[in-house]
Amino acid sequence: MFYISAASSITHQPTFKNAGFSASLHELTEDSELISPNYKDYIDAALLRRMSKILRMSVACAKTCLEEAEISQPDSIVVGTGLGCLQDTEKFLGTFLTIEGLLPPTSFIQSTHNTIAGQISLSIGNHGYNMTHTQNTLSFEHALIDSMLLLSEDNDHVLVGAADEYIEILDKIQQDLHLPLSGKLSSGASFFMLSKERSANSLAGISAVETIGLVEDIQTEIQRFLTEQNIRSSDLDMVLFPGFELGTSGIILDYFINNEVEIDRIVDYLQFSGIYPTTSAFAMHYAIDRLGQDENLKNILVCNCLNSKNLGLTLIQSLEA
Amino acid sequence: MSVRITGIGVVSAIGLSVKENLLSLKTGKSGIGPVQYLDEKRGLLVGEVKASNQELLEYLEIKNKNISRTSQLGLAAARQALGTTGMDASIKTGIISATSVGGMDRSEDFYVDYLSGDHPDYNLLRSHDSGNTTERIAAELGISGYINTLSTACSSGVNAIMLGARLLLNGKLDRVLVGGTDALTKFTINGFRSLMIYDDQWCRPFDESRTGLNLGEGAGFLLLENEKSIALSGNKTLCYVNGWANAADAYHQTASSPDGKGATLAIQKAISLSGIDVKNISYINAHGTGTKNNDLSESVALKNVFGDQIPPFSSTKPFTGHTLAAAGAIESVFSILAITNQLIYPNLNFQNPIEGTGLVPVTSLLTNKPVKAVLSNSFGFGGNNSSIVFSSDN
Repeated sequence: MFYISAASSITHQPTFKNAGFSASLHELTEDSELISPNYKDYIDAALLRRMSKILRMSVACAKTCLEEAEISQPDSIVVGTGLGCLQDTEKFLGTFLTIEGLLPPTSFIQSTHNTIAGQISLSIGNHGYNMTHTQNTLSFEHALIDSMLLLSEDNDHVLVGAADEYIEILDKIQQDLHLPLSGKLSSGASFFMLSKERSANSLAGISAVETIGLVEDIQTEIQRFLTEQNIRSSDLDMVLFPGFELGTSGIILDYFINNEVEIDRIVDYLQFSGIYPTTSAFAMHYAIDRLGQDENLKNILVCNCLNSKNLGLTLIQSLEA
Repeated sequence: MSVRITGIGVVSAIGLSVKENLLSLKTGKSGIGPVQYLDEKRGLLVGEVKASNQELLEYLEIKNKNISRTSQLGLAAARQALGTTGMDASIKTGIISATSVGGMDRSEDFYVDYLSGDHPDYNLLRSHDSGNTTERIAAELGISGYINTLSTACSSGVNAIMLGARLLLNGKLDRVLVGGTDALTKFTINGFRSLMIYDDQWCRPFDESRTGLNLGEGAGFLLLENEKSIALSGNKTLCYVNGWANAADAYHQTASSPDGKGATLAIQKAISLSGIDVKNISYINAHGTGTKNNDLSESVALKNVFGDQIPPFSSTKPFTGHTLAAAGAIESVFSILAITNQLIYPNLNFQNPIEGTGLVPVTSLLTNKPVKAVLSNSFGFGGNNSSIVFSSDN
């Protein structure tokens, strides 16, 4: 097990610097908006002016994690993003397709997926391992697997997180392709400090993460994962899953209900986060926050089936007093 | 640290197979020329893979034709690396691909029609996300389970190899295809133009007169296997990946630091992890893009690590063009071929050393030097610096 020593999220919910937020969440409504802090408190004004939403959210969350974990330099920075820096990508597409002659380069520079991790390293002067995973809905889980590998190698502290940003064209794409969405498209960033050793700052433990891409039998995979962790379904105090697609969500609901998890312990986190590829990072923060509020909770499973082809499983556990 | 490499595959401007690429490297034949396949300004110098999308679809026998060129190039190289290796339920098999553009080749076509309101085909966007690029390759190869994509700009390909090696050593996987793929796009061509580092002439890495890069496209893949996997596959070991490192320069979003800090750290750590003495590096396949900034910074880093005993080095980008996320993977294949064929490749288009560093790369094919250990560098935007060491010994 590794230890989560800080967690910070900027989302459509009052998550930022607000321990205990999980008690006061409401289902996202059509008019809900991203709740942004005063970014000037975290980011140099000159840099801030050029930063897109995804960069602002990420750098602010990253810096908050350093503060809360009382760690000035992590050994590594690992980021997951499903769609990357969409705002700058679309902006540069528009720029070079409409402007003749000299093109302003800023949006191209900031369009690469690793701008997020790169800007974090720049803003804190970090020279460690700097990685960006982008496997659509499993991007965050892949970032976690890499981070836990680093901790099992020679790292003591890894800053890991995920971010995705909403841009307007996503709504048009969704409508045109008739993608059946169960909620509102949104933005969000969640960052965490993972540490090798337990400390006074430790909030929760992370025991195992697995991704199964192009999954065939979801129920068998969940069962195998839990068995490998020596956990029975009935030991799960909470299962977090994205209630996205009726078919896949139904399989997951069926599985846990048939395996002694009471229905009121199975929570659809998508209703709180809205929809973006890396919502499982929000779910992890939600799990940590719940553990902090209720000492009866021991084991929480994040069961990410946001894309029915891909399954992500993350086991979060409380720390013994 | 060492992990077996049992398969390699490459598709680039200098060939659709390992054999073709090797032949071009030996004969000094560059694949960079005036653009033929992409709808771009006439005369623009690019390193295109010499096949249209339609030709690739037929060659690869792909059924679902809603696929990016990036996936197609990746699949071509990954199939070569996998060879006749069959899937086995007892062998945990994964794939890690790297890409910077993902399905941008199709998204930019969509966006032209979208801007003009001319019935844009939204289906083109189904292949946009980078993860899809890899999923399509995995699906064609019958791989499920650990399927991952890295995107760290021009260092991505090396990072995929590094992550695969770590997952194998950690017992998470028994067998993993690792590499990178990127198609040429208008997005990246215009991007590097906007940065004023796209050379209208042939790129000239490490030359005093260098003014920028030529973009290329392609893919490179390696098959890494542990003992258990080899016992079943029967694959022969080509050579080993012995050391790797990634370090952040933390200097500037695009430019490399003048003191080569991130690059120096990456090279030092990779060699240190390999356990190979600095003196025993036989050849360095440099990042050498041909931009003023990279080549200077990389030269300084080489001096920082090797002092005045810098091993023979060259950039193979004048052959292939800069293939972005595929570069590290393609150049890793070239590094492996350097070991298995005892070759050191020429740095084409070089005439005069950079004032101030005075470093002179290898300018003609060397066949008379033993090549046991090779260092390959890949440095990207965001100060993302990666180095990797291959050798004939474990």
